[in-house]
Amino acid sequence: MAIRLIRRAALFVLTLLVASIVVFGLLAILPGDVARTMLGVDATPQAVAALRNEMGLDRPLVVRYLEWVGGMLHGDLGTSYVTHQPVAAAVSDHLQVSLILVISAMIIAICVALPVGVFAAYGQGRISGAVLSALSQLAVAVPGFLAGLLLVIVFAVTLHWLPASGWVAPIEGFGDFLRHLLLPALSLGLIQGAILSRYVRSAVLDIMREDFMRTARSKGLTPFRALIRHGLRNALIPVLTITGIELAALFVGAIVIESVFVVPGIGSLLVQSVQNRDLIQIQGIVMVIVAIVLVINLLVDLLYAVIDPRLRTSR
Amino acid sequence: MSKPTSAAVRPARRLRIAAGTLLAGIALLAAACSAGAGDNAGGTDGSNNGSTSGGASNQTLQVGLGAAPANLDMTQTAGAAIPQALMYNVYEGLVKLDGKAAVQPLLAKSWTISSDRLTYDFQLQSGVKFSNGDPFTASNVKFSLDRVPKWKANTPTYLAAIKSVDAVSDTEVKINLKEPDNNLLFWLAGPLGAMFDPNEVSNLATTAIGTGPYVVDRYNTNESLILKRNDKYWGTEPKLSQVTLRYYADANAPVNALRSGDIDAVYESQAADQVKQFQSDDRYKVEIGTTQGITVMSMNPGKAPFNDKRVRQAIVYGVDRKAIDTAVTEGLGKVLGAPVPPTDPWYSDLADKYPYDPAKAKQLLAAAGKSKVTVDFNVPNLPYCQTIAQIVKSDLSKVGVTVNLHTQEFPAVWLDKTFTQKDYQLTVINHVESRNIFNYGDPDYYWNYNNPKVQKLLSRAAAAPGDKPYADDMKQVVDVLADDVPGDWLYNAPNIVFAKKSVTGISANDNGVSLDLTGVSNPS
Repeated sequence: MAIRLIRRAALFVLTLLVASIVVFGLLAILPGDVARTMLGVDATPQAVAALRNEMGLDRPLVVRYLEWVGGMLHGDLGTSYVTHQPVAAAVSDHLQVSLILVISAMIIAICVALPVGVFAAYGQGRISGAVLSALSQLAVAVPGFLAGLLLVIVFAVTLHWLPASGWVAPIEGFGDFLRHLLLPALSLGLIQGAILSRYVRSAVLDIMREDFMRTARSKGLTPFRALIRHGLRNALIPVLTITGIELAALFVGAIVIESVFVVPGIGSLLVQSVQNRDLIQIQGIVMVIVAIVLVINLLVDLLYAVIDPRLRTSR
Repeated sequence: MSKPTSAAVRPARRLRIAAGTLLAGIALLAAACSAGAGDNAGGTDGSNNGSTSGGASNQTLQVGLGAAPANLDMTQTAGAAIPQALMYNVYEGLVKLDGKAAVQPLLAKSWTISSDRLTYDFQLQSGVKFSNGDPFTASNVKFSLDRVPKWKANTPTYLAAIKSVDAVSDTEVKINLKEPDNNLLFWLAGPLGAMFDPNEVSNLATTAIGTGPYVVDRYNTNESLILKRNDKYWGTEPKLSQVTLRYYADANAPVNALRSGDIDAVYESQAADQVKQFQSDDRYKVEIGTTQGITVMSMNPGKAPFNDKRVRQAIVYGVDRKAIDTAVTEGLGKVLGAPVPPTDPWYSDLADKYPYDPAKAKQLLAAAGKSKVTVDFNVPNLPYCQTIAQIVKSDLSKVGVTVNLHTQEFPAVWLDKTFTQKDYQLTVINHVESRNIFNYGDPDYYWNYNNPKVQKLLSRAAAAPGDKPYADDMKQVVDVLADDVPGDWLYNAPNIVFAKKSVTGISANDNGVSLDLTGVSNPS
């Protein structure tokens, strides 16, 4: 177990290093220039050159890369070219928002997926199962931003129950925070729940065909009790893998939802930074997202052992 | 009831504990953090947010806007969004533009211009203080104007005619020019004329201290700018104690926010298709004014086939500008024929100089020997540009011109390839900078237009003795340009304002400098 952890940690650092080179290299060849983008159509070439010099963008790539990586080792992601604020502070501020949004969406997704998936599997071959299956299929086909717009039209514009957009930090008022969180979290979570429910359904169907389920039935459990007591736990293993992957996907999906609801998350920050060609800030954001995805994968790996005792000894 | 074995219980409990820990973690995360509270940039000086003096109203206003300021420093950062929020509200100049884009006094009570038009003598308001308490005097005028050559954004060369600035007394300042410049007051009313406190210019990106009626309370980058009333303001106290400018990337989001009651008004709305709906709803009012914007499809005269004037004229005949105006602005914009918005003194309606006439276009192309021609069109990835490009492509295919569309990311890629490298045949953009007609006198500008006649006329106009001769000279510039058509000036975008009935005082016209909040009230 310890050796496995050390190996995982080394791989983690190596992946980050490779990612930093790829991110830096790709951004270096991205067309567009932060100085020109900042100065727009009413600045002379001289002014642009002077600003590039001030930002240190006229220095060799290797120097800039080493400086950036060196800073990161101290937890310093640099200072934004555009906003003149520390990148680390901006990333951490926006990341908290995204984490709250994504985790809330995941909770909603799981709360939807487990019952829907289980009942769809349980009701297989019956009308109830078919209806649930069809509904989840339909929800999978709806793009997140469309769901968001529909929710806005119903709950904000027509009913005036919830705000159409915006964000309130928890410390600024918890009720207001929840009101602003609900619609974006629902538009992300419901669709993710529909996707997840299909995995739950197929995992449960697979499990129901297993020998131990037949044994459970034969000792007198009703099919439903057997499923809940013995089946669900085993069905959770593939579902957990998918949940891990989907959690990373949720961060990406959140980019669109954040812009529909004007939520100041990491996605909005990334889009804005790319538009401004704020290279140092893009680099910082992407590295943090890479690190998060790696951590999620690591956690999923470790969670297998919690759910499936067989995996604790076999590796 | 069947009895579960103990082996089945233990892991299940562990799972429950794990789930419980996760939930607790989330709750903690949510409760403890200030996620998104936005303390990125503050401009407060800590001295003016106390209790409002007796009689001051506590009205507030939330306005939805489009593009957000990249930061608060308009000396080093382009974008109309910074002066739009800060000019006249936080920063003030000697003069300001009103809703008709005409020059009005502000920090200068009055001024005289010498007969040789080389000396401007300003009498300043007395008792003016910056929001941090520092006094504003003639020395600030000298400091601020002497600093303009250090600006990188907002075209500091517009004030290049200034030779020196003399602080005669605390309340009198003289500006001496190298050569007469009829545009001086106009540019002084814009961002270049903003008055700064020498003690507060080290970090303009995050701190904005001016003499205006509001102070920046907080800027949540890309999200909202919160202004609070400046209790030390020298002039008429504003009615609003707090104004929140909210920025939306999408045209429909601010409209939805207004409908759901989150905000009180939408300024410069891009949702022209919503005008009719709002007009028929008596909870709201709709105002439609002009902007300073010129949406121009530039035809690069430095590249074939557009080095031939007949080809350029053929394109103008062959593109239905009215259809474009209808498609993009629901017909609320003004169809143009020259690079002049309706508020400029030298405006005349040239929309019908080149009526939509495909037959005439074909004729001109044939005369130029270009009956079948293919051109590349660099199109910014902005919704209105995409719409325009589709109409142009379809219109021109009818007169034998094949248009290949190349979408370019705006601003970064377009600024790099089309604007800086001038690597284009056709391109389109809405130039929102005031009086961008002067760039037709700059052969290095991306328009690539080098006409000595226009250059000579523009400098003669700048030195013309008085407003009337100035406007007359400018009209001649317009006539030359309208004949030569280095660009197809499509339309002047409308300024669409949606607001709750209670909101008054927002100017329907956008003067290109500022969303002036001084006279706005919202007694809801």
